[in-house]
Amino acid sequence: MKQIMLITDGCSNVGESPVMAAALAKQEGIIVNVVGIIDYGTIGELGSLEISEIAKAGGGMSRLSGTQKLAQTMQMMTRKTVVQTIQHAVNKELRQILGNSSFEDLPPDQRSQVVEVMDELSETSPLEIALLIDASASMKPKLAAVEEAIRDMMLSLGARKGNSRLAVFHFPGPHSGEDAVLDLDWTTDLGTVRSIFQRISMRGATPTGPAILKVMEFFQYGTLKGHESKNWMEETGRGEGMLGDYVV
Amino acid sequence: MTTSSKSALAQGTVVTGRWKGGRYMIQRLLGQGSNGVVYLVKQLDSAKLYALKMGFDTVDIQSEINVLKALQRQSHRRGNAGRDLSYLVEVDDYTLQGREIPFYVMRYVKGDPLRSFLAKRGGLWLSIAGLHLLRQLRQLHENGWVFGDLKPENVLVSPYGEVELIDYGGVSSIGRSVKQFTEWYDRGFWGAGGRTADPSYDWFSFAVVCIHLLAEEPLKRAATQLPQTRSYNDLLAIIRSEAALSPYRGWLERAVAGNFRDTAEACQLWKELVTSPLSRRRPRQKTPRWMLGAFALALTLLGCALYLTLGF
Repeated sequence: MKQIMLITDGCSNVGESPVMAAALAKQEGIIVNVVGIIDYGTIGELGSLEISEIAKAGGGMSRLSGTQKLAQTMQMMTRKTVVQTIQHAVNKELRQILGNSSFEDLPPDQRSQVVEVMDELSETSPLEIALLIDASASMKPKLAAVEEAIRDMMLSLGARKGNSRLAVFHFPGPHSGEDAVLDLDWTTDLGTVRSIFQRISMRGATPTGPAILKVMEFFQYGTLKGHESKNWMEETGRGEGMLGDYVV
Repeated sequence: MTTSSKSALAQGTVVTGRWKGGRYMIQRLLGQGSNGVVYLVKQLDSAKLYALKMGFDTVDIQSEINVLKALQRQSHRRGNAGRDLSYLVEVDDYTLQGREIPFYVMRYVKGDPLRSFLAKRGGLWLSIAGLHLLRQLRQLHENGWVFGDLKPENVLVSPYGEVELIDYGGVSSIGRSVKQFTEWYDRGFWGAGGRTADPSYDWFSFAVVCIHLLAEEPLKRAATQLPQTRSYNDLLAIIRSEAALSPYRGWLERAVAGNFRDTAEACQLWKELVTSPLSRRRPRQKTPRWMLGAFALALTLLGCALYLTLGF
């Protein structure tokens, strides 16, 4: 199962529509969840509308949360998404067997057996989660809390029976045209999560859509440079220094 | 998606089961757990009182029911040794405005939540309620389960300290991940270990529950500091410094560190603690330093004397 969790506190303002990007991700089998952080005042009508639109398009859910409840919110969403993904799959199978019905229509005794299987699958299926953190200037005071929530999430993922791994990105990058930066490559190791956000330089723009597309690329190729990595290196000439982070 | 069923049903509403046709009249709201709302109901055919829980989500409530069923099977298999932990009476669906709401009916337990019980009876009663609670946990653990979301709200106490665990939504089988937890009572929150369900997870929560009930202020201070500096050493410091916790000090230290062989041992040690006469519970005075010094000197002298005696 693949999930992107977007954590943001405002509207996107650069590049492709994030709603479209999320719809694309869903097509690729990646579910997009969105947390809107609301510590000071509100996120704005436009912001909250965008958040719920992204989640709807991405087949996931959206929640507004203060930094205090962030860890709890992220875990609840992750867990629910896993259960729902499995529920969809199970319902699909059931429809093939039983015709037009979902497991909610089964009598309680049979439902009990189905849920037993679903619980088992939720606990044991492999899970990949990419966290995509909005690091535009207004997010700066919230990053410590975000980091703490990530640490907490690793703890819960680590307790699952199935393989779970986590990668962390922020956006935008320090250079224009760099839509997302990898902070933490796929990991299951708690120790490395201590300080992930050292390299962030805050900028004003919020290219949410392009960042989602980048993360999709990462799911597919295991690197942010994707299939174009060669061209990219030739063009910019900055390839060598960056490469060390990803190869190994 | 899950909000519509959260609005409370009015008193006098009759809930009829879709599959089994059981009829229950709502008396009043009893409370709300993480997976659903609990009502006090009267079964119309027998006029008996029960508690009825309506789920927010079909999967979540069903997996809670599955745990209760498994517990019921296990206690049947063992005959009547130990108390019947499970209290499931009926499982069914209720059709409300075209939607199916899953519910289950369980036996109604009268009692106060742990906190108000202690407020009525006095803090000393924690020793009795604690022992009952540990025995309940022991029975769960021995059947391969961990309660998970242990907190004062989930513990109902009868007037004489008998304990009933309510809300089995957080129960996980040993070795799985803990499904539900509450920050303060979660050992991950205090950096004291992982969220894999094992008996020590419940011991830890139990210890924090004790601290919460007897030394709330220092716990609150420790819990609200910066997450980077929060650690289970803060809990140990509270255990060591708070007078109200002194009777339980040694036990709590072990619980926080996960230092029991099994829950049977945890029970045994708690029992020894609370059944020992009050006089012995006074904090023991430490042996003065000079006495230790004198003892060491005496030993050395004895050693010398022996050496001399044997040497010659």
